[in-house]
Amino acid sequence: MLNAPPYPTVLKPYGRALVDLALEREEILCLSGDLTRQTEVDLFQDEIPSRFINAGMAEANMMSMAGALARCGHIPFVHTFGVFATRRPFDQIVNSVAYPNLPVRIVGFMPGISSPGGPSHQAIEDVAIMRSLPNMTVIDVADAVEIRQAVRAIVDLPGPVYLRLKRGEIPVIFGDDHEFSLSRAQVLHDGDDVALVASGMMLSSSLAAAATLEAAGVSTSIVNVPVIKPIDAATIIRAASGAKAVVTAENHTIVGGLGSAVAEVLAEAGLGRRLRRVGLRDTFAEGAQSAAWLFRKYGLGTQDIIDSAWEALGRTGPAPQAPVLVTPLGEYSPV
Amino acid sequence: MIAGQTRELERFADRIRLRAVKMVAPHGFGYLGQALSSAELFAALFSGPYRRDRDKLVCSPGHYIISAYAAAPDLGILSETDLSTYGQDGSSFEAVGTERSPVVDLTCGSLGQGLSGAVGFALSAQLRENLDSRVFALISDGELEEGQVWEAAMFAAHRKMGNLIVLLDANDSQVDGPVSSITTIEPIAAKWESFGWAAFEVDGHDADAVNHALELAVGESRPSVVIARTSTVHGLSCLPEGADGHFIKISPELVDAAIAELEARLA
Repeated sequence: MLNAPPYPTVLKPYGRALVDLALEREEILCLSGDLTRQTEVDLFQDEIPSRFINAGMAEANMMSMAGALARCGHIPFVHTFGVFATRRPFDQIVNSVAYPNLPVRIVGFMPGISSPGGPSHQAIEDVAIMRSLPNMTVIDVADAVEIRQAVRAIVDLPGPVYLRLKRGEIPVIFGDDHEFSLSRAQVLHDGDDVALVASGMMLSSSLAAAATLEAAGVSTSIVNVPVIKPIDAATIIRAASGAKAVVTAENHTIVGGLGSAVAEVLAEAGLGRRLRRVGLRDTFAEGAQSAAWLFRKYGLGTQDIIDSAWEALGRTGPAPQAPVLVTPLGEYSPV
Repeated sequence: MIAGQTRELERFADRIRLRAVKMVAPHGFGYLGQALSSAELFAALFSGPYRRDRDKLVCSPGHYIISAYAAAPDLGILSETDLSTYGQDGSSFEAVGTERSPVVDLTCGSLGQGLSGAVGFALSAQLRENLDSRVFALISDGELEEGQVWEAAMFAAHRKMGNLIVLLDANDSQVDGPVSSITTIEPIAAKWESFGWAAFEVDGHDADAVNHALELAVGESRPSVVIARTSTVHGLSCLPEGADGHFIKISPELVDAAIAELEARLA
């Protein structure tokens, strides 16, 4: 079951889920890099202070320390913004976490261009660099329901995880019957013209694009890929096989992320389908007061997904237009 | 310390040197200088405060693993036969430490990360209220150029990690030459003290002095550092003047001379 946009939102679903789990699991530690409230773990600090560690603004030390804590049997969840969780301490993640294959959970908030804070704060290549690391699981979830389930799903994985989370108001897209899986992508809708493959914040945009495309007579399938590594190749191949074209959508550079992963799957399967990758086109993103403006400027909006599908299918005439949604305060509309 | 014990430490240090010469001999070059400079540190640590059943040992610069290996037979961990495969194809005793490296609890070839690992071990002991576990971390002076070392040093002092002891091999050697010619890291002791650490500066080839400093460090309620002033050619008078201490080249003739010199001292 799926909700319809604009979506209701909740606050701190991750922070709540982590506290609930940590109350059951003594091994869980919570590390913060001076961004405690912003990463929702003020809840953890308040409720389980004995297992909360503020490592300060020193991400290299935080990451190597987390690796050693994991060697001692703890399960450290490490929190900061996505840029400071991956880009800055990359060598520490490689040597202190990924190579020793330790159960450190790296949680990076504020993905892609959801931050108007400029290139320094925009994690646009985090999925690419984390995906390139042996042993690393990479997850980019779409809504609060997936977040709650993902926290429980990853806790006992033997190796490291990078969990990419939206900051602030989190939409509720899925119903309570939704089942997050570490091994399976989900086909949310079947169609035989175009397959939309999306993760994270771009799932709701893909759902909106699909509605507009279907109304214009384009039969559209939607594949939700919250786990980008290891990727569920079988489900992607099945959806792509049944369509004439494939469009990926990611809040990330198109170099090395979901679009690249899907391209690898299709090429290795020998499946010739026209592929369009919606995402940042090898550029940094500047100049914004609002995230929504940035998504439009850099071609990551619902309309860009529609236009890509329309063009990939070789449809003539103007592409159908996505309706402009009125979003009441506290609700969330796709970008 | 009584004279006999001092002599035993000196002999232990020379056994480390002898085994290290034999380990690099088949290659004709290697990290012999690191073993020569840190021999007394490892001898004193393994003869004194380090308790293998409850303490943690970090060898931050991965290429110093040669010293840990060369010292290990005295702990009954590795055999001379194990050491003979050091750095060879297919051996798990890689010349730059890896996850497979025995003897130590953590090592890393990417420098500057080991102290953070040691801080993680010490933090775990704190969280579990395990008061009887010490964490020893060997780090090198060149590593002090890496910012992460100081991130870790600050955090350790903030958390009052009295169970954390750093053995700093100040051999004034890095890849491009003397550390002092590349970056001014002095005053080393004052830096650590200003970060909230107890610092003990010693002649790193005076086994008795190293041992005494370690005893003081173990008794500290703050994190502590033993700064050992050392040389990468110490203990082998046969090495030529101006040998590159970071990566010593050693001919078969020089190997023979080195073994003869050390065996004579150990006889």
